Amino acid sequence: MWKRLRSWFRVLSGRPQFEDQMSEELRFHMEQFADDLVSRGIAPEEAARVARIEFGSVQNVKSDCRQARGLNFIDELLRELRYAARLLRKTPGFTTTALLTLAICLGANLTIFAVMDSILLRPLPFPEAGRLITMFNSYPKAGVDRDGSSITNYYERRGRIPAFESLSLYSYGAAIIGEAGSTERAQVTYVSPEFFATLGVGPRIGRVFTEAETTFQTDNVTILTDTYWKQHFNANPQVIGRQIRVDGDLKTVIGVLPSNFRFLSSEARIYLPFASSPEARAPSERHSGGNGKQLIARLRPGATVEQAQSQIDAQNATLELDDPKAKMNADAGFCTPVVPLHADHVAGIRPTLLLMQAGALALLLIGAINLVNLLLIRASGRSKEMAVRQALGANRRHVVSEVLVEITLLTLAGGMLGLALGAGGIQLLTRFGVDRLPLGATIQFDMQLAGVALAAAVLMGIMLSAPIAWFNLRDHLTNRLQAESRGGTSGRAAQRLRHGFIVGQIALALSLLTGAGLLGLSLEKAAAVSPGFRPDHVLTGRISLPGKSYPDAPAHLRFIERLIKEIDQLPGVSAAGVVNNVPLSGNSGKSAAVVKGHVLGPGESQRGHYSYGVGGDYFRALGFSLRAGRFLTEEDSHRTKRVCVVDEDFARYYWSNSSAIGQQLFEGGEAGKDAEAFTIVGVVGAVKQAGLTDEAAQGAIYYPYVFRTDNALFLAARSSLSPESLESMVRTAVRRIDPELPISDLRSMETRISDSLMARRSPALLAGIFSAIALLLTAIGTYGVLSYAVTQRRREIGIRMALGARPEQIRSQFVSLALRLLAAGTILGTLGAWFAGQAMRTVLFHVPAVHPAILAGAVGIIGVVSIAACLVPSHRAARISPTEVLASE
Amino acid sequence: MGKTADLLPGTLDMLILKAVSLKPLHGYGVLLRIQQISGDALEIPQGSLYPALYRLEHQDLIMAEWRQTENNRRAKYYTLTAAGRRRLREETAGWNRLSAAIASALNTTPEEV
Repeated sequence: MWKRLRSWFRVLSGRPQFEDQMSEELRFHMEQFADDLVSRGIAPEEAARVARIEFGSVQNVKSDCRQARGLNFIDELLRELRYAARLLRKTPGFTTTALLTLAICLGANLTIFAVMDSILLRPLPFPEAGRLITMFNSYPKAGVDRDGSSITNYYERRGRIPAFESLSLYSYGAAIIGEAGSTERAQVTYVSPEFFATLGVGPRIGRVFTEAETTFQTDNVTILTDTYWKQHFNANPQVIGRQIRVDGDLKTVIGVLPSNFRFLSSEARIYLPFASSPEARAPSERHSGGNGKQLIARLRPGATVEQAQSQIDAQNATLELDDPKAKMNADAGFCTPVVPLHADHVAGIRPTLLLMQAGALALLLIGAINLVNLLLIRASGRSKEMAVRQALGANRRHVVSEVLVEITLLTLAGGMLGLALGAGGIQLLTRFGVDRLPLGATIQFDMQLAGVALAAAVLMGIMLSAPIAWFNLRDHLTNRLQAESRGGTSGRAAQRLRHGFIVGQIALALSLLTGAGLLGLSLEKAAAVSPGFRPDHVLTGRISLPGKSYPDAPAHLRFIERLIKEIDQLPGVSAAGVVNNVPLSGNSGKSAAVVKGHVLGPGESQRGHYSYGVGGDYFRALGFSLRAGRFLTEEDSHRTKRVCVVDEDFARYYWSNSSAIGQQLFEGGEAGKDAEAFTIVGVVGAVKQAGLTDEAAQGAIYYPYVFRTDNALFLAARSSLSPESLESMVRTAVRRIDPELPISDLRSMETRISDSLMARRSPALLAGIFSAIALLLTAIGTYGVLSYAVTQRRREIGIRMALGARPEQIRSQFVSLALRLLAAGTILGTLGAWFAGQAMRTVLFHVPAVHPAILAGAVGIIGVVSIAACLVPSHRAARISPTEVLASE
Repeated sequence: MGKTADLLPGTLDMLILKAVSLKPLHGYGVLLRIQQISGDALEIPQGSLYPALYRLEHQDLIMAEWRQTENNRRAKYYTLTAAGRRRLREETAGWNRLSAAIASALNTTPEEV
């Protein structure tokens, strides 16, 4: 087999040469023969003539030689391709419809597949990425499902879990990088020394961090990403030993990462050592996790996630034996789930992506059905020609290969168009926010995808050819010659097949439409949720203070006071404040607090609450509502008396029947001295912290900013001007205070809300687009099949009308056919919609999987579309003139 | 291939292989050689020689090469490949078995039945 392929290839690659050599060889033969004849005494002209006669037909010999070389197959294929192209050119209407259908359906599938492939299917870009896992502390009964890992966890587990080959800790952060005058605020990642070894990636130059570089005195080193190295050092290999300024400190470059290195969705520009103090590594800090710090590990070859899980569980159990907070942790349901890194990273987006792919496949199926129907109709038109050809001896293989070549040519062309459309589709999805998905930045259109497109097109060609080939070869020739002659009617089987396809198409379109309706309604319900504050006219932005210039709480306070004073003076600003995290910023974390005098009931555990430090007039800036007491003010940061504000969820949980005002609580997991207690001075309305669809009433505590200073903070300003027009003024104001301090993530609260709905809006929009295309295709399909039915039954209609049938009877006959197909499609589609609804459960919000109104609406839309599609053909049927028909026959 | 029963095409292939096994030959040479070694008993139709040569080349049993003839003309010379040599051996053995069996069958007398 291989030898023959090689022989083919040799000949094909030098086809003209092959022909030349063959001619030369045959000419040589005849000339030699003639020469021999001459030497036997025959006159030269006579000799040449005899040689030609003896040799026989040169053309036949050549053709036989080509066949011997297996070239006939190729020649035949080329001939069939030319024939198919000619046929397709002759019916531009059909060809255009088919190509557009294929391009849209394959394009939509390729687009979604590109996303799914990059995010779900391709392994993470590390060697043996399947062995990478992550783990996190979980306190489900305290309402904290995920709390990252603590530094202590890392030091206690490192080297002690046999299933782990390597364990590392990392944390995302932001820093101001660069020398005075040219600073940029950039993402950085803090990593433990074995981080790169865990991933299985080494630096392209230099070395990685060492154990000695994990203290605050020795962490003045950095590893650059390839991008940073190229932009700032012009890819200079002598970069090792140079220094860059990070948050005001000088860091020595010790390594550069390879160009394709990217850890999950990280945008980090440089890597820094994960430094910590001995206190932070102490057992007392074991449960000071927080989602800022995450562990990853590489399993030993052969080790399983289950083994790792049981080893972690065993270690946790041993350590908890003498943990002072063991009871509290146990009450909170403390555990440390071990999960594969890739799956965990994309878990949130997985159901939506699978749904979108299912939707795209349904669309492809609808498109394929349309094509089969169009092709069947077309084949019916050529039915007689086929029959005659077969009667004249065209063999079955030939009939099949002709169909296969033609349809595959069509699907391949459609596939190429689809590929172009898919490339455009990715651009469109980027506008829908797909690049902000986990691993979304890795989505690309590459050769692998082109290969998938090619394979899909060929596969589709073969699948579409099957029913057409069957149609062309089906039953006896005599029957067909008769069927298409005078007085005959169309083949029943073919007609049933066409109608069955229409029913399937209606059912699929109905399922898609229902699914889109459910997603749309979920989006509407989510968007209608009140965030709990007034988001209009509020501009927010993120500032992170470098530790060098702002080392302590007083420095932070001085900065925010100046900041708020500057912002307050901007035109139109009515309130300005700061907070650790604004709602919906995606950074809200929960921490423990203990209410003075609250006794845990049986089965009740300590609860995690959203906790923030607020400064300035934050509550008024964001438009919180005051339920009781007062808001916090600037002065609360300077008073000796500790006060705080809680939200209504918190107040309702602890004091459902009495007032929260005047009650006291302690920050952290246990009650402290009375002097450390915070007195509640106000109760504010609850706001949506993590997302509009977040429904857990977890409770929130707001402390004066001085008690929760942090390097990163958000500024919020309410203004009578539009937030957009305030932007540049805010930037200038911040620069006036500290020219080195950039403000980032500057967005209005309305934009934040709208962005937070992206994960619902984009799928709903896509599903809507798919449904619209599905409807269009269904309309085309129904129209095509009914038109054909009318054309085919012209004779019958003509005769019936001549015998006295009225036009309305003829019309209603076709309308009732359409209605029957619609009814069957609706029944099947309702079943499909039910399945679709079940599959979508996880992504729906306040919408049941089976929603009668949406289903009824979808049935209505499909009904209108398919009846509209049948009106023109049935009207035409009713206008058939019997005299014309009978005369034309 | 087991074409021993398929007499004519099988025999032509076998004869070509035999002819080029003796010495590299061009197509016309193959024709002359077969006539010569069969004692002019076999007449090969000239038109069917070349498809057979191309088929054998396609199967990698013989290989072709352009060379100069004694009269300084360019011609395509065929030589036997290793696979061709093996095939020739098999075909020869197969032919011998077949002809012996047929000869024995045809020489059977009534007494031997």
